[in-house]
Amino acid sequence: MHIPDGLMSPEFVALGWIVALAVITLSVARMNRRVDDRVIPFMAILAAGIFVAQMINFPVWGGTTGHLVGAALATVLLGPYAAVIVISVILIIQCFVFGDGGLTALGLNIMNMAVVGCFVSWGAFRLFSPKHERNGAIVAAWASVFVAALVTALELALSYDLSGGTYGIIGTLSIPLMLGYHALIGVGEAIITGGIFIYLAKVAPEILKMRVATKEAPS
Amino acid sequence: MRRYLKAALGIVALFAIGLVLYFAFSAAYGDGLERTMEEAGVGEQPSVYNAPLAYGDDYLTALVAGLVGAGITFGAVYGYLRIVRRRKGSENDRNEAP
Repeated sequence: MHIPDGLMSPEFVALGWIVALAVITLSVARMNRRVDDRVIPFMAILAAGIFVAQMINFPVWGGTTGHLVGAALATVLLGPYAAVIVISVILIIQCFVFGDGGLTALGLNIMNMAVVGCFVSWGAFRLFSPKHERNGAIVAAWASVFVAALVTALELALSYDLSGGTYGIIGTLSIPLMLGYHALIGVGEAIITGGIFIYLAKVAPEILKMRVATKEAPS
Repeated sequence: MRRYLKAALGIVALFAIGLVLYFAFSAAYGDGLERTMEEAGVGEQPSVYNAPLAYGDDYLTALVAGLVGAGITFGAVYGYLRIVRRRKGSENDRNEAP
């Protein structure tokens, strides 16, 4: 779901940068107050793991592939603010080092995958009681991909309308195609996220308390 | 710390296996956004920035690229948090001084 250069209209490119910078600033301020020695190596390993996981696309349907975004995984393990930082760092490195996603679209990519992905995950996850948090992680993962795809599809549609067709993709195509593909990609995200969450709950349950230890999650 | 070393080795092993499956089943196909662009007849515009590295089109290049990227990502997050922690520590020391 990495948006390349020249796809979105300038208004949405600017909006992406504004939202991304504002939320990263807020997340850094929240995270910096709560950095805990125990969480540092875990956050770094998790970020590296999500980076490599994003490189491995899995087939979904009709010659389309998807890959883990990791926003939900980072959110259910660390809370939304630390997760925004982790996913943003990954997107920045992918863009600057590997040219994955456009440089001008980096703000939008951070907005869609890090900001929307993490906060939708957090909202969905918190609908579930602690007793059912495994189900919460699975639902959060699917919802994070689906809503991020919806936001991207709307950006494509509105870019098309605002620019008279120079940028974006007409909504009658962008919305059903993006939602159709990502409803399936979200299932892959849910299986991977749920699998890792359940595995960690079994072998290292104290890891699941990291988000409590960092106390950066809103109550 | 030994636990994190184990986790890192586990991630490398899973990545090495996952890449085999990626090149077997997925490398030839685009992701959801790329397919949407393709079906809408929207081509990719030239990039405004040329990155120094690429993911690579074969197993070995992609493996190395992934490990380099994972190393940079680990270093960036770890380094950033260590700096924050050190600053926080010295701030606490100042606040506690009589």
